[in-house]
Amino acid sequence: MKGYTIDLDLEKCISCGACMVACMDQKDIHPENGQKPFRTVFDLETNRDGITAYSHLSLACMHCVDAPCITACPSACIRKDEETNFTIFDTANCIGCHSCAMACPFGIPSFGEDGKMEKCDGCYVRVHHGMKPACVKACPVEALRLVELEGDKTILPERSLQESSKNILDQQV
Amino acid sequence: MRYGIVGFGTAGYHGVKEIRKYDPTGTIHVYGDTGMAPYNPMLTTYYAAGKLSYEGMFPFGTLEEMEKKYGFSYEKRPVKRVCAKERSIETDQGSAVYDKILIATGARAVDPAIQGLSAEDRFLMRTIFDGERLRKRVETGQVKYAVVIGASMVGIKVAELLNQQGIGTCLVDLADQIFPLSAYPDVAREIEGRVERQRVTLHFSTTIDHMERRDEGQTAVLTNGEEVPADIVVLCIGTRANVELMADAVEVKRGIVVNRRMETSAPGIYAAGDCCEGNDLESGQTQLIGLWANANHQGMTAGANMAGHFQEFQGNILHNITHFMNMDFIGFGDNRISGEILEHGDLQNGLYIRLVCQGGRIVGANILDHYRISGIIKNYMLRLFAGDRQEVPDYQRGMLVKAGIPETFMDKIAREING
Repeated sequence: MKGYTIDLDLEKCISCGACMVACMDQKDIHPENGQKPFRTVFDLETNRDGITAYSHLSLACMHCVDAPCITACPSACIRKDEETNFTIFDTANCIGCHSCAMACPFGIPSFGEDGKMEKCDGCYVRVHHGMKPACVKACPVEALRLVELEGDKTILPERSLQESSKNILDQQV
Repeated sequence: MRYGIVGFGTAGYHGVKEIRKYDPTGTIHVYGDTGMAPYNPMLTTYYAAGKLSYEGMFPFGTLEEMEKKYGFSYEKRPVKRVCAKERSIETDQGSAVYDKILIATGARAVDPAIQGLSAEDRFLMRTIFDGERLRKRVETGQVKYAVVIGASMVGIKVAELLNQQGIGTCLVDLADQIFPLSAYPDVAREIEGRVERQRVTLHFSTTIDHMERRDEGQTAVLTNGEEVPADIVVLCIGTRANVELMADAVEVKRGIVVNRRMETSAPGIYAAGDCCEGNDLESGQTQLIGLWANANHQGMTAGANMAGHFQEFQGNILHNITHFMNMDFIGFGDNRISGEILEHGDLQNGLYIRLVCQGGRIVGANILDHYRISGIIKNYMLRLFAGDRQEVPDYQRGMLVKAGIPETFMDKIAREING
């Protein structure tokens, strides 16, 4: 199987939240019980040098090829799924030290009531079975895409969240 | 190609993995003194507290599994000397010559003599054996009082585990505050208040002088004259790099000095992990930064270069995250450097961040009670140290806003950094 990641077309996202709801449904996340969704959706209005700009974003684990959270975890709970490249985890030995959170330049890992790490796993089991991740499937404007690491760019580089965040990731240790 | 690896903690392990990635057929000999797979010294307090199984101490599996997977041989044999000139490793069985040698000997706990303290009642917290020993002693139920020397990240975890067992625990440090190498004084005061409210006693600006045995039990007498009951004493006063094998062969300061390719001053000899000092991005000097992820990066970099692949590790900054006693403390950079202070939040109410800015860089940061923003803040600091003055991009900015950092605070940071 080819390596994948989930990318966001920054021009298409409308912050509708469908991806977040689909993720909560897929992963049985109940915010009313204090659980945090794995995907964060927001819009921002910024004004820099007199220029007003709007951003619509949906952010979850970026499934970095060289993921700093993997190197940082003292218990080796986080690893790559060999079939998909998604960054997956087994928290049996998670000690809740939060080292993965300190390593992540996107602010993704969170911790449940049991003190163990939780985050998006790319719905890798769905992908193993030929399906799209729940968030990708639910996106009404096809802003979220399941993309091949080595394949043709389905999102133009200047509109791709993965591409635009590469320099940020390169600086992280 | 013949590779010799001296020491098999996580730096040695990552070195072997990376050598094998670029050289599938070279011969790799690993010399270790434990006969065990690599384990993480940071996990010892969790093991001692019973929060982690014995198997959980070995995050990469068993030694046998590794030998099979990466095709190396492991010798449980103390190394007497590494000769840089001959590029040889000497043991009691003789000397073996290699093309490339990696020194990954780690560090050991500082273990000073203390008058009157018996070996039985004296504990360190560095090795799996240290964790096992403390756990067994606590399980006897005979420990009523304990003194922990060193208000460091390790010391506070030891104090936490003893306190959770109902043991009267006293934390002592020669410095005048908790986390002296990373916390700003008023952040430290807040943490100290919380620790004391959870019934751990704190004594600062003093340390243990000697132990006395009295009818009512043992007492630790501190250098300021105070006396504290102590059935056991746990010494958590830092580590010292294991450099003795190389001391006369390569440049050594507090650790073996390496460049960004993990090369020592001797050709063909590399060093990685807690035994070496690599690039500190903040000071531009070499420095010991004895942290797990740092050792992993250094090991990988050394292994790649040893196998002929050019790779650099740019270095790191001092960084710590500690989750203890229902709080998170995060410290980045050098807390001794002064500058313009930017703060947000309230020390008592769930989210507090302090950044110290100087010369267009964030030279130090403390975060209390919010782990989730820590990676973004660290990333911003690293970028600024690397000369990248780009503002926090919207995807990071949005996550900070969601975490409770107001946009006005981020604009303030941008103004301070970029003028």
